[in-house]
Amino acid sequence: MSILEVVNVSREVTWLPWAVQYFFLIGLSVACFVMSLPGFVLDRPAQRGFARLALIGALACALVAPVALLADLHQPGRFWRFYAHPNLGSWMAWGAFFIPAYVGGLLVYAWAALKPDFYAAGAQGGADPLSRLQRTIAFGPRPVPRLTKLLGAWTLAFALLILLYTGMETMVVRARPLWNTPFLPLQFAATAFSGAAGLVLLIGRLSGETDEAADGLAARWMMVGLVTTIVLGLAWFAIGALGLDATHAQALASVADHRAWQVTAIWAAAATVLPLALLWARPAGWSWIAGLLGLHAAWMFRWTVLIGGQTVPKTGAGLYVYELPLGHDGLLGIAGTLGLWAFCFVVLTIVVPPVRAADRGTTLAHA
Amino acid sequence: MLDTRRDFLRAIGVVTVGAASAAPASAAPAAGAPSPAAASPAAAGDKHRFAMVVDVGKCIGCQACTVSCIYENAVPEDSFRTIVSTYEVEEAGRAAMVMLPRLCNHCTDAPCIPVCPVGATFQRADGIVVVDADKCVGCAYCVQACPYDARFINHVTRKADKCTLCAHRVEAGLLPACVESCVGGARIFGDLEDPKSAVSKLVARGDAKVLKPELGTRPHVFYLGLDERLTGKVEGEPTLWRPSTTEQHT
Repeated sequence: MSILEVVNVSREVTWLPWAVQYFFLIGLSVACFVMSLPGFVLDRPAQRGFARLALIGALACALVAPVALLADLHQPGRFWRFYAHPNLGSWMAWGAFFIPAYVGGLLVYAWAALKPDFYAAGAQGGADPLSRLQRTIAFGPRPVPRLTKLLGAWTLAFALLILLYTGMETMVVRARPLWNTPFLPLQFAATAFSGAAGLVLLIGRLSGETDEAADGLAARWMMVGLVTTIVLGLAWFAIGALGLDATHAQALASVADHRAWQVTAIWAAAATVLPLALLWARPAGWSWIAGLLGLHAAWMFRWTVLIGGQTVPKTGAGLYVYELPLGHDGLLGIAGTLGLWAFCFVVLTIVVPPVRAADRGTTLAHA
Repeated sequence: MLDTRRDFLRAIGVVTVGAASAAPASAAPAAGAPSPAAASPAAAGDKHRFAMVVDVGKCIGCQACTVSCIYENAVPEDSFRTIVSTYEVEEAGRAAMVMLPRLCNHCTDAPCIPVCPVGATFQRADGIVVVDADKCVGCAYCVQACPYDARFINHVTRKADKCTLCAHRVEAGLLPACVESCVGGARIFGDLEDPKSAVSKLVARGDAKVLKPELGTRPHVFYLGLDERLTGKVEGEPTLWRPSTTEQHT
């Protein structure tokens, strides 16, 4: 028997590239924050330079991510309704509370962790506006290690809740077999860490604060993230291919025969294996490429899941056509998010004092 | 309550004769209109559970329902609250056209309701699933959660939109626009709480199917004569025609 679909409706993608940007940035922020904890909270001085770079990444991403999320509401001014009429049976509703708790906690944690640096920089400076600003932010000479630990614990709790809710929010959608897998929250988390480690490598270079010890730590985090991503991906594929679970089999069957998805699978495999090979061989200039590839893998995973997942019809045959619009709901939105991130990054690297030589690792090398 | 357009036309004759014989005609309901007490849950205070039965064999794929729905509900261009999916099914050398009218299934366990972060989507006491536009934030989570692709973001309101079974018409004692305009009388609307209604009798026969029963959503759009292979995601050649002028023809 053969069925030819003569007339049907083509549904549009309704979680726009803004959603991809949000999932990407909030994942990076959470992972960067977690990577900063050993240096700032667990008192490991050798990791302080790395932790500072990670914290700048966490802050820049956390400031931009909610903007992307608001833009995806199709009318950002409605966000207050999340607080006026919360339906606590919805994971998305919980997210509306987790996000400000996380971002707020992160900002105060960053202040507490960097307070000594702000004070030292402000004290060394003169009457210039930046030094005065740094002195104001420092709010006195006394370090606050206990408060840093307390805020670290608070922010960690909400960081984990962010990872949980973003994963669960998509996982619970039974209507989309590609999303309806317990692997998805873990895959989001694993790719967030490999992307965040890539971001730390790039921030080190963009801010001129390269540090071999920091690079080594970033490489280690990225390897763990990539290997976990590969293991989870293979497990998902095996369960679907062997028919061990109906939903996974359905998810695989819905995309396996389409050339676009076959190319995507090869691309995804390359995006995880290639940076792993780079991290292993470490040729000259590896950190630039590995950093970009790590970020690419994290972004591409979210794009494939969120945008690609919406092109799979729930009732109809084939795939829906999606073409990235050039306007604010497409390319302009992606570029705008990147621009806002760059702005935040520049402001942060101006205001946050450079890493002190004592906090750096073994060798200083400017790329 | 009158369930299909054919019932409506039959009733015209009955009421015309009745009007000639009964003097206080002005006291009676308008010609062809169902009793408001029977149709309006608010007015009657009785329990209702509205549902639709689609007799696939009677559908000719004219899309009159699609068009009347668009006009009745001001559905914007390129969006649809209902559409008749049309398939050419070839088996053992014989080809046949198969129509499958699709709309919101007004499920008892509607997956779109629990995911809504602001509680804008809810089920009325009469079973109709609606969106409170004053609350909706346009997050499209319900669009993702609906297994029937029955929801969309309205480009004009920028909020979630879907079939309401023409609740505004039902409350006024009228049939949904798609039922009223159905040429073949394929769409039958009524109250499952009323054992005498056509939908109750048809569903009670036991041979009506629902879409994606394995999901346990308990849809309240029932199909008569539907091929089992069309109840889920249809595995076939993709569509030849797309509604959007901006999309590629494949």
